[in-house]
Amino acid sequence: MMREPLLSVRDLYVHFPPPQRGDGPMVRAVDGVSFNLASGEALAIVGESGSGKTSLGRALLGLHPHGTTRGSIRLEGRELSDLSEQKWRPLRWRRLAMTVQGVGTAFDPVYRIGEQIAEPLREHFALSVEAAAVRVHELAQQVGLEQRHLRAYPHQLSGGEKQRAMLAMALSCHPDVLIVDEPTSGQDALSRARLIALLRELRRETSLSLLLITHDLAAAAQLADRVAVLYAGRLLEVGTNLDVLERPRHPYTWGLLNAYPSMTTARDLRGIRGQSPDAADPPAGCRFHPRCTQAEEICRRVEPSLVEQDGRLIACHLGGLGILLQAWDLHKAFSTNGRGALARPGTAEQVEAVRRASLQVYHGEVVALVGETGSGKTTLGRLLVGLLKADAGRVVFEGQELATMGKQSRKALRQRIQFIAQDPFDAVSPRLRVAEIVREPLDIQGIGHLAERREKVIGVLRAVGLSPDEAFLRRRAHELSGGQLQRVAIARALVLDPRLIVADEPVSMLDASEQAKVINLLKEIQNERGMGLLIISHDLALVRKVADRILVMRQGEIVEEGPASQIVTQPRHQYTRALLGAAPAFGWKLG
Amino acid sequence: MRGLVKPAWIAWFRETDAMVGAIALAIFILIALLAPTLAPYDPHEFSGRPLERPSPSHWLGTNDAGQDILSELIYGARISIAVGTGAAVGTVVLGILVGGVAGYAGGAVDVLLMRTVDVMMTLPRLPLLILLAAFLGSGLLQTMAIISLLFWPATARVIRAQVQSLRGREYVKMAYNFGAGAGYVLLRHILPQIGPLIAFGWITAAGRAVAMEAGLAFLGLGDPTAKSWGLMMRFALNLPGLFLTDRWLWWLLPPGLCITLLILALTFFGMGLERRLHPRLAR
Amino acid sequence: MKSRVAAYLLTVWAVLTLNFILPRLLPGDPLSSLLDPESSEYVFDGEVRAALEAYYGLDRPLLDQYLAYLKGAVTGDLGRSILLNRGVGELILSHLPWTLLLTGTALSLASVLGMLGGAEAAWRRGTSTDRLLTTASVIAGNAPVYFVGMILLIIFGAELKLLPLAGGRTPFAHYDGPLSAAADMGRHLVLPALTLTLGLLGTKFLLVRNNVVGILGEDFMLVARAKGLKPRRLKWSHALRNALLPFVAHLAAHAGLAMTGAVFIETLFDYPGMGRLIFQAVGARDYPVIQGVFLMVALVVLSANLAADWLNLRLDPRLAEEARK
Repeated sequence: MMREPLLSVRDLYVHFPPPQRGDGPMVRAVDGVSFNLASGEALAIVGESGSGKTSLGRALLGLHPHGTTRGSIRLEGRELSDLSEQKWRPLRWRRLAMTVQGVGTAFDPVYRIGEQIAEPLREHFALSVEAAAVRVHELAQQVGLEQRHLRAYPHQLSGGEKQRAMLAMALSCHPDVLIVDEPTSGQDALSRARLIALLRELRRETSLSLLLITHDLAAAAQLADRVAVLYAGRLLEVGTNLDVLERPRHPYTWGLLNAYPSMTTARDLRGIRGQSPDAADPPAGCRFHPRCTQAEEICRRVEPSLVEQDGRLIACHLGGLGILLQAWDLHKAFSTNGRGALARPGTAEQVEAVRRASLQVYHGEVVALVGETGSGKTTLGRLLVGLLKADAGRVVFEGQELATMGKQSRKALRQRIQFIAQDPFDAVSPRLRVAEIVREPLDIQGIGHLAERREKVIGVLRAVGLSPDEAFLRRRAHELSGGQLQRVAIARALVLDPRLIVADEPVSMLDASEQAKVINLLKEIQNERGMGLLIISHDLALVRKVADRILVMRQGEIVEEGPASQIVTQPRHQYTRALLGAAPAFGWKLG
Repeated sequence: MRGLVKPAWIAWFRETDAMVGAIALAIFILIALLAPTLAPYDPHEFSGRPLERPSPSHWLGTNDAGQDILSELIYGARISIAVGTGAAVGTVVLGILVGGVAGYAGGAVDVLLMRTVDVMMTLPRLPLLILLAAFLGSGLLQTMAIISLLFWPATARVIRAQVQSLRGREYVKMAYNFGAGAGYVLLRHILPQIGPLIAFGWITAAGRAVAMEAGLAFLGLGDPTAKSWGLMMRFALNLPGLFLTDRWLWWLLPPGLCITLLILALTFFGMGLERRLHPRLAR
Repeated sequence: MKSRVAAYLLTVWAVLTLNFILPRLLPGDPLSSLLDPESSEYVFDGEVRAALEAYYGLDRPLLDQYLAYLKGAVTGDLGRSILLNRGVGELILSHLPWTLLLTGTALSLASVLGMLGGAEAAWRRGTSTDRLLTTASVIAGNAPVYFVGMILLIIFGAELKLLPLAGGRTPFAHYDGPLSAAADMGRHLVLPALTLTLGLLGTKFLLVRNNVVGILGEDFMLVARAKGLKPRRLKWSHALRNALLPFVAHLAAHAGLAMTGAVFIETLFDYPGMGRLIFQAVGARDYPVIQGVFLMVALVVLSANLAADWLNLRLDPRLAEEARK
């Protein structure tokens, strides 16, 4: 049903002159934003600090200096953007009201709270002092404040109380649209929860339309119907609450969600790599491209516009997060009486190592495949990389079918997927020198000449934390410790700059302190280079520290999969629970 | 279109008032230095008849003793600059000593020193000045000393605040961790940071000192042998019926103008300096 | 508040002690030289000399002198003027009202004009009006007050002959009634008060302007604007009201400044206030008068400080809170 939206914003630009009075580029706080807000709806504008969200909020009340705002703002069909200050005044607070982020400075320190809440009432409705007081009392009750709060001065109230007082003040004139700017920032968990509950109640009681400006994703999840993601002054993704926050499509949204701390995530925080963009000088092309793990040439040159896709709007040339590797219904069986030439004819028992396995790995994602020995995880890993041929099912990597790849494509494939094996002593020829080991893939692929290859070798050795001096480069594999050798193996995997690394039990043969270091190293490299990482392991406790998603495998089948936080705290399958219970790092018992 | 970010100096000089102040100050200092060359006569010399009108031989006429007013004016610059400098030095040195010690030592020492500063700041300046001058006698050195004694509290306060904040910084604590002594910390970390403050305080103090010196001379508390601008004004005012003729125009007005211009030059220059130190306050 | 009163009393005591100690400490022993026939300061008048001897009591032990001095200060006996052969206390009382009239008028005018002007300039910050007013204030505030007075005197007194050149009132005048007395005193007050006002106006204007500019940048001003309040209300009820607080605090400092200016102005305009009194006393090395005036002026300034503190406490709800603790 197409109803005229209550608030309609089209091509909104807010550009400020540079702060120093010299020449310099304009600060482009809001750089072309369009959205609608329907009556009674709650829309959350989420973004990091510096994304322009506060400037956006203020622009909707015409608060910016003359000449900085451009574009259309229509409230119930009436154009607001070209109004003079005088024409704005009767509309402010009555049609649109706002709260500000810094609750400490939102109130005039020399007047009582009650007076300040009454102020707009007296201004807009010419109420007498008594009549205004009655209304103020009502409002106070609505937000849970008492008479003593109203009589107090701002400095006598706590942050949470002031936040509620601000809300009461904002609601005083029954606005159509309420803009709430960072209501939860700087508050402890209890105040936050109370405030969110309050806002929800207010929405229920009145038909208020809410525009929530925040970087607090949890608040957005609890309050908003729809979510719009703002980055460097432009919207990257707009959709329903569920779509955007549970199934994010845009790489930025996805990164944001991963970076968000929550009580359920045991995973260490990793921010989005790279720097926030400079509002005065945003990147060319797609603004997110320098930090995106799947940026392509077009992303660097052309700025994507918001297009409709599966019921949401997304600004990405690649249509959002791309799937790096996908597998459907993989089957693999082995004969128990030997293989190949050693096969004995007759009754041969088949062991199904992998059964009906399907999975995906997105760009820049860390997926953990967890199971006991014999669960088939190693086999699955090799199937995905193409080291084993599947009996049935498909594997598609970067859009190409593994099965139908020609020889050339296969060779190229090797560049893009790399494999790290469990036992470094086994995976590396003991007599080779370090330099030769790491250089091997380059030699095989015939990339660059000797000097260039040497450069690359030095580069990746540094990346894994080994010192690439002459002495070390000449050491032979058998002279190195387990941890060092595994690092060399990782360096070797990196040297071709792959898009996906599959690591099979990369640390299980190392001692405890090395385990932690190498697993963190892998995660660091993954974060830096933005590649996909599939870790195969039996140690659930270990992988939960680095994985975004976990797949649990048992007897050849994937029995459960989901976000790491969910798997660890709310496992559904019995087997998962058993695994968790058995994991040595967990001290608690499962009932 | 990308803009260039101009170097800080050029942006500063674009502020016309600071630039004008700097130039004017330079001119005054030059005049003071080159006084013997510039002045047509020795100001003590009785080069003409008393109260002569301006003429080619005496551009501003002569005073009641027959001395050339223009020469007095030029030599007066020396006094003003000298006293301004001297008093400023005294103020700043005292301010650094007291403020530095208070901010650095903290605790009881700080409280004691700051209470003293508070008391000194509430006392009315000029009457105290007059009291001191009356008892201490006149003379340039005494004047400089008295002015310093009056203005150091304000400087001390500012310096103390800065020293206190600097002392709490991490890198100072780190220096201690490395085994540095108080002397090292003061020299290496704190002093360079308060440098700009000192420069600014110096300029401000100089401006106030010039005003005070002239005021004291005007009131008859200055050195009667030092031909300062204030003294010139005093003698001029002592002349009965000064305003009934137009004598004030060449005797009273020029020294008054010079004092005002010098103080304004120092003030504008100081304002420009402050803008550079605190760019956030520029708006 | 109590602590402020305590500090006030402490400072008064410090002033008294300073007054007492200074002449006795300084080289050249100025007090004894008054009574020493050999010195140039010797007081010839026997009556006056006797009174001075009694008042200073230089032959008594120091502590006795101190206590006698304190007693005298409290009871109003501040010695005798060498020059005028009158009680110092009496002299001060006759001159004090003139000074209070002058400084009171100037302070009030400068405050009102400074607040109005400063607020308007801040409201229009960055415009040419603002820059002009600000520069003018800097010049007015820094030009030495006696110079400005001179200019005004020359223009209005000497050249245009609109206003009297000197004095508090026309000498030997007979008044028909209080109105004509007031009118005459008023005419004589104009130039001195105007000069002092201009001298004080500069700093006050800049202070208010800078304060208001700072306040205008605060969030609550943005919220007030967003609430749709009229500009007048924003300017006066919110911005200026907040700017009032540091302004009142500075008022105390300005009282001292006003006194300083008063000395110069009274000298220049021959106005019969304490400034002129101390000027004359200085010329004649009339120590008792100098000391007495210093004490009086210090008391006035300190009282002004105290009053300002009290006012500040009433105006700023945040301070009232702290004071109660």
